[in-house]
Amino acid sequence: MADTAQDAAGIGPLADDLAVAALAAARRFGGGGTMWCWSSGPAGHGHHVAVEFVHPVIVGKRALPAVVVDGGDAVSVLRPLVRSHDIILIVDAPWSDSGVRSALRRAKAWGALTIWIGAGERPEPGEADHVLWVGGDPELAGYDGRYVLLYHLLWELTHVCFEHPGLLHPPRDCDGPVCTTCSDEGRLAEVVRAVSMSATARTPDGLEEVDTSICGPLEPGDLILVHAGTALTIVDLPA
Amino acid sequence: MTDFLYPFIEEEEHDAAGLLTDLARSARAKAEEGDDLRSSTLATEGDTIRSAAQDMAHRFARGGTLFAFGNGGSATDATALVSLFRGPSAQLPLRARSLVAEPAVLTALGNDVGFELIFSRQLIAHARAGDIAVGFSTSGSSQDLIRAFSEARRLGLLTVGLAGFDGGRMAASSDIDHCIVVRGASVHRIQETQAAVGVVLWQQVHGILAGGSERTR
Repeated sequence: MADTAQDAAGIGPLADDLAVAALAAARRFGGGGTMWCWSSGPAGHGHHVAVEFVHPVIVGKRALPAVVVDGGDAVSVLRPLVRSHDIILIVDAPWSDSGVRSALRRAKAWGALTIWIGAGERPEPGEADHVLWVGGDPELAGYDGRYVLLYHLLWELTHVCFEHPGLLHPPRDCDGPVCTTCSDEGRLAEVVRAVSMSATARTPDGLEEVDTSICGPLEPGDLILVHAGTALTIVDLPA
Repeated sequence: MTDFLYPFIEEEEHDAAGLLTDLARSARAKAEEGDDLRSSTLATEGDTIRSAAQDMAHRFARGGTLFAFGNGGSATDATALVSLFRGPSAQLPLRARSLVAEPAVLTALGNDVGFELIFSRQLIAHARAGDIAVGFSTSGSSQDLIRAFSEARRLGLLTVGLAGFDGGRMAASSDIDHCIVVRGASVHRIQETQAAVGVVLWQQVHGILAGGSERTR
C-alpha cells in the first residue's frame, strides 16, 4: 500500500484560494456571521473546526462563533440555523453527496458564504463560493492531516485578516443607482409558502412575496429565480 | 483613467491584493513547515511507530479493542483514528472506540468526579487486559491523559501515546509503552503530523496482520 501520509505534498495553488476564502470568511465574521461546519464523514472534522474558532489555541485571539452541525440531511439541518451573512463550511463530504450540494445551492438564497474542503471528484464551478480541494488519495485525506492543515490555515489566515480592519468591508459592486426592473438582475430564492399564483420566498434580504404566474404552482422548498418580484423559473437541485 | 474619480476604490483593491499575497505566502510557509515536521517525525520516531504497530497488531489479533482519547482538537484526532481503524475502505475493520463520543458520559464524569478522570473512569467501565489505549496530547502533559494511561497500565492495556513539543510528562511516563513524540513548536503542525502518524500506524498494523504473523480472530 502506498504510504500516502508521507506523500502528502505542499498545498501549492491552494494557498491563493485559501487566502481569498479567509478574507471572505473574516468579512462575514466581522459582520456578525456564524460559521456552520458540516461533515458527512465519521472523522469529526466539524468538531475540530468548531473548537479551533471558539477556543483559539493562541491566547489573545478573539473567539469566533463556529458551530458543528451534523445528523440528518444537510438541507434540513442547516436551513433553520443559517442566517444571511453566515458561513457554511463543508469538510469531508464527497462531491456525490447531493444533500450537501443542494444545501450549497440554497445557501445563495439564504445569503450564506460557502466553503467546501474536500478531495476526490471536484465540484462543478460555482457549487461553492470557495472550493479547497486537496490532491492525493481522497480516501485518506480525512485521516492523514490534509483536511486538518487546510482548516488550521483557514483559521490562522482569518485571524490575520482581523489585523487589517480596513479591508474587512467588502468593496461595493456598484455605486450607481440600479433599476432592478430594467436590469438583468435575477436572484435565487427558496419558496417557504405557496398559493395558486403567488409564493412567499426566502432571500438574503428576508421574505418576499413573488408572483408565480410565469412558472406555475410551486412547492415549499423549491429554489426559484426571481426578477422584479416575479418567479421566472424553478432552479434544478442536485438529485 | 478613473482613479481621480474613485481613488479610495483603487486604494482598497490594491491593499486587499497585498494582503492576499501575504496570506498565501504564509499558508505556503506553514504547509512546508508541516511537511518538514511530518518527514522528520516519521524518520526519528520510525522505530517507536513500528514497535507500537507490532504490539497493536498482536492485541488486535487476539480480539483487543482500541480506545482513543484526547482533548480539544486532539479529541477529533482520536475520533479520526477510531473511524480509520474501523475501516473507511476494503480493509479489515478493527474494533475501535472513541472515549470522546458521548457528551452525557463526559459531562457526568467531569461534573461528578472531576475532569481529570473523564477518560480513566471510562476505561474502568469498558476496557480489559489485552485492549489498547491510544492518547493524543500536543503538550504531552494533559492531566486527564496521564490519569488514563495510569489506569490503562493497571488494567493491563497496551498504552500508546502521541505527544508534541518535547513529549512533556507522557515522554517520561513509565505507564506508556510507546510514546511517539512529534517535536514541533506549533500546536497546529503537531496535530496535523499526529494525524499522519495515525495513518502510518493503521497501515503498519494492517501490513502486519496481512503478513500472517498475526491473525485476527
